Amino acid sequence: MEYDENGVSIVPSEFKKEIFEEAGKDFRYQEYVRGCLNCGVCTGGCPPHRFFDFSPRIVLQNMKSKDPELIWTMMDEYIWACFQCFTCAMICPFLNSPGGIIAILREIAVRRGFESAKKVLKPYSRVLLKLTAYGNQLSPDMIQPDFFPDWGPTIGYASTDLAVKRKAIPMPTLQVTNLSWDVAPEAMKELYAIFDEAGVFKIIEAVDPSLYEIIQDIVDDVRSS
Amino acid sequence: MAMEISNRLGLANVKSDYIHAAGRKLEDIHEQLLELEAKGEVKVIHIKDENKAIEADTLFGWKKKIPTNRIWHHKSCGQCGNIPGYPVSLLWFMNQLGLEYVDERNQTSCTAWNYHGSATSNPVGLAAVAVRNWHRAYELGLFPLFHCATTFGDYKEMRNMLVEYKELRDEVGRIMHKIGRELVIPEYIVHYSEWVHVMRFEIAKLKKYDLSNIIATVHPACHTYKMIPEDCIYDKDIYAGKRTAVSTGVALALGAQVADYSTWYDCCGFGFRHILTEREASRSFVMDRKIRPMVREAHSDVCITQDTGCTTTLDKNQWIGKAMGYTEQVPVMADVMFAALACGADVFKIVQLQWHTTDWRPLCEKMGIDWKKSEEEYNAYLEELKAGGKTVNLYEYPKS
Repeated sequence: MEYDENGVSIVPSEFKKEIFEEAGKDFRYQEYVRGCLNCGVCTGGCPPHRFFDFSPRIVLQNMKSKDPELIWTMMDEYIWACFQCFTCAMICPFLNSPGGIIAILREIAVRRGFESAKKVLKPYSRVLLKLTAYGNQLSPDMIQPDFFPDWGPTIGYASTDLAVKRKAIPMPTLQVTNLSWDVAPEAMKELYAIFDEAGVFKIIEAVDPSLYEIIQDIVDDVRSS
Repeated sequence: MAMEISNRLGLANVKSDYIHAAGRKLEDIHEQLLELEAKGEVKVIHIKDENKAIEADTLFGWKKKIPTNRIWHHKSCGQCGNIPGYPVSLLWFMNQLGLEYVDERNQTSCTAWNYHGSATSNPVGLAAVAVRNWHRAYELGLFPLFHCATTFGDYKEMRNMLVEYKELRDEVGRIMHKIGRELVIPEYIVHYSEWVHVMRFEIAKLKKYDLSNIIATVHPACHTYKMIPEDCIYDKDIYAGKRTAVSTGVALALGAQVADYSTWYDCCGFGFRHILTEREASRSFVMDRKIRPMVREAHSDVCITQDTGCTTTLDKNQWIGKAMGYTEQVPVMADVMFAALACGADVFKIVQLQWHTTDWRPLCEKMGIDWKKSEEEYNAYLEELKAGGKTVNLYEYPKS
């Protein structure tokens, strides 16, 4: 990527065309982009539209325009405003799925390691680590007052005597503190094989190389156990 | 009787003689799945007699069979870490009703956080993870029940893609072969709230407390009814079949008043990425679009949810509203937790409300539940465990 004297990226039009073509080749594209009346019911019902400069109607219209310049304008922060609630898809009279288009465009941004994607996902690395390395996500020991001061004074409940409080949950699978449930190593190993074959590890390497290395260390440990 | 409105607070209890099924013409994926099975292209996890299925109507009037017995619990990677009362209440009901199930370690997350949150997956990866977990239920001879709404939405979508795209089937089949598994697809993708819904009258028989003075507001999870909306339960006796019936159904069956509010269709503000990295958006959405309307319009005593993200977002983000001068507060819990409370489950040991942030004690007191006694017993239990005492579990998974 080239930059001008103000640090603004100068993106060749060929590259923008390539991005549009990559989206168009996705097998889901034909399902998600159909006719559009421009009725705007999707935007009227869109939750993030109330808080962000984001409109699912614009997403769909830009895709239908087939203009790589217009589509490129959404590839930075714009696509990351979507809540992925799929209100737009449910209420669209033409069965379009702007939320689905967003998923395709985000995947391209991540796969190609766009700086905007790296920036947006940086604070997300703990979840990404747990999910990819352990097949789990929100572990009890992640709920700490330091991370969630805005969740109020009682959030500290999980930070004292956590092990015994988890042991008191009457499901043996849940009696751990570092995972949501005690995932069996054989399940993790199968997950790693899927991630290898489906290219998921490569995607993470593209967007966060240091996190990828940490994940690979864990993967190696589990595989050799 | 065409329509009968008996709920002074809103539309929840509106009955209709009609199912207004006209609308979008979609292929019934269930029929296509069975055709693929007949051609030998996929194996199907069928509902068997032992699953004691109960039939329900979906959006377009198609029938969906909900298994109630011989269940494989597909846990939620959010609920289990953060809202443990959710799965515990579900298992508690299954024990109360004498139903068989397995809860085990050999399960992974659906990984759909990597779909909606970070976009660090792809359809092959997501579909392969889905089939991997479905196959685990299949090899145990059980029917999978999905606890998380996002898993439910994702798995419905993956099921549809696998049925519609041969290339995806071939690729996932190749990966499954590599890990010693097969391409299997459940006959129905079933969310736990659907189990609660079809079991609501059995659940109501266990009721211990009078809920007639309790006003509930329901927040249905977007991924249950907005993703693959045609595969979600609707009932002509609930919202006159105009909104999904799950969660509202069990609250009504238990005798609570279910009140309407103007932002029912709005999401919770979770946003996957936003709850972690753009929290201001989630916080504002929670207070301005959900909690304040629930309290100001409906005078809600409790907000009933059916998903991990919604429960977390709506519960945790109320306290910070005080910074804006917002005084509205309402306890948040899943339908199954509210039902368990109503049926006498222990507030601390089973419903596990101690992990919740917004004060739930006034609700318990209004229901007539002695939460202080429950807290004392729970604290004594913690001391026992600290001293090396044995855990009292609802279920013991086989040791391998």
